[in-house]
Amino acid sequence: MMLDEQDLQKLLRLKRLEQPPPGYFDRALNEFHRRQREELLRRSALQIWLDRFVSGLWSFRVPNYAYGVAFGIFVIAASIIGSGVWAPAGVTTNSPAAQTRVVKTDNSPSRLALSGDLDWSKFERRSAPVSRVVPALQPSQSAIPRYVIDGRPLSHEASFSF
Amino acid sequence: MDDQPLPDDETLVRQTQGGDTHAFDGLWQKYSPRIYSLIYNMTANHEDTNDLLLEVFAKAYRSINGFRGKSSFYTWIHAIAVNMTINFLKKRGRRFQMSLDDLDTNIQNAKEFIDLTAVRTPVREVDLSELQQRLNEAMMKLSVEHRAVVTMFDIQGMPHADIAKILGIPEATVRSRLFYAHRQLQNYLEEFRKR
Repeated sequence: MMLDEQDLQKLLRLKRLEQPPPGYFDRALNEFHRRQREELLRRSALQIWLDRFVSGLWSFRVPNYAYGVAFGIFVIAASIIGSGVWAPAGVTTNSPAAQTRVVKTDNSPSRLALSGDLDWSKFERRSAPVSRVVPALQPSQSAIPRYVIDGRPLSHEASFSF
Repeated sequence: MDDQPLPDDETLVRQTQGGDTHAFDGLWQKYSPRIYSLIYNMTANHEDTNDLLLEVFAKAYRSINGFRGKSSFYTWIHAIAVNMTINFLKKRGRRFQMSLDDLDTNIQNAKEFIDLTAVRTPVREVDLSELQQRLNEAMMKLSVEHRAVVTMFDIQGMPHADIAKILGIPEATVRSRLFYAHRQLQNYLEEFRKR
């Protein structure tokens, strides 16, 4: 017969009766006091203070609202820096965003160029004359229907056929 | 010790934090039997239980100034006891000896125990202490985490919610650990009955 759940729980409950001999807890309390006194005599004041400090640290908990406040500060700081209203000192003059501006040149009506340390003359010499590229949209050969009846394509050769 | 009713835990904790060492004796009186039972059923060794009990209360005494009362003292001291016992058992590994000789006389005279063994073993005369020893062996075969849950739920009668708080795990995990541990205990005890 299988030992069922109830029998097992009954057996386990019986373990509550396993207790130490009478008077054990009083003796153990005396032993506890003796150890405490010994410990106080043995340890320096600094060690005791350190223990209390460490236990205080363990019990320290960050309050829940602190997470919200930290996130709010992050969002505000990110939006201020991102909008360009304010940027940290030292970054303003060298940042790519600050160096980019619209420059008028002879060959093209307008283009974006970097000002500052870059010498654009080197690039101007090597670059080809600006020519206007106009995209031409034309039907591909492969897309032209081979047979047409009543103005409707019947079939065409697919471009990926071998 | 006097038999005066003890103040509630909150008062005793506050008094201890204020430097009243006798107040901590009150907490000892209230909780040492429960903590002893918890540690003993996890270690199955009287000497180890004695040492751990003293260490648990020493740690509680040292740390009581950091106790802010967000959980009950009951939960807090049980959590200290379970964590210290689990750490001890993991360090001890497989090197352990049961010391049940001085503890099993109460259980053998219990009516429930006699009834249970009489009903379940009508043919074979099972030595009562042997069944008790098998149960303890079966408990020792569980992992320390499962043993802690069985001890608190089945032996100490704690509700799932309290166990979850003490161990810092969800209630569902407590239930699944209990289910698995019961299966393991049933299987082990069944093997013994078949012999």
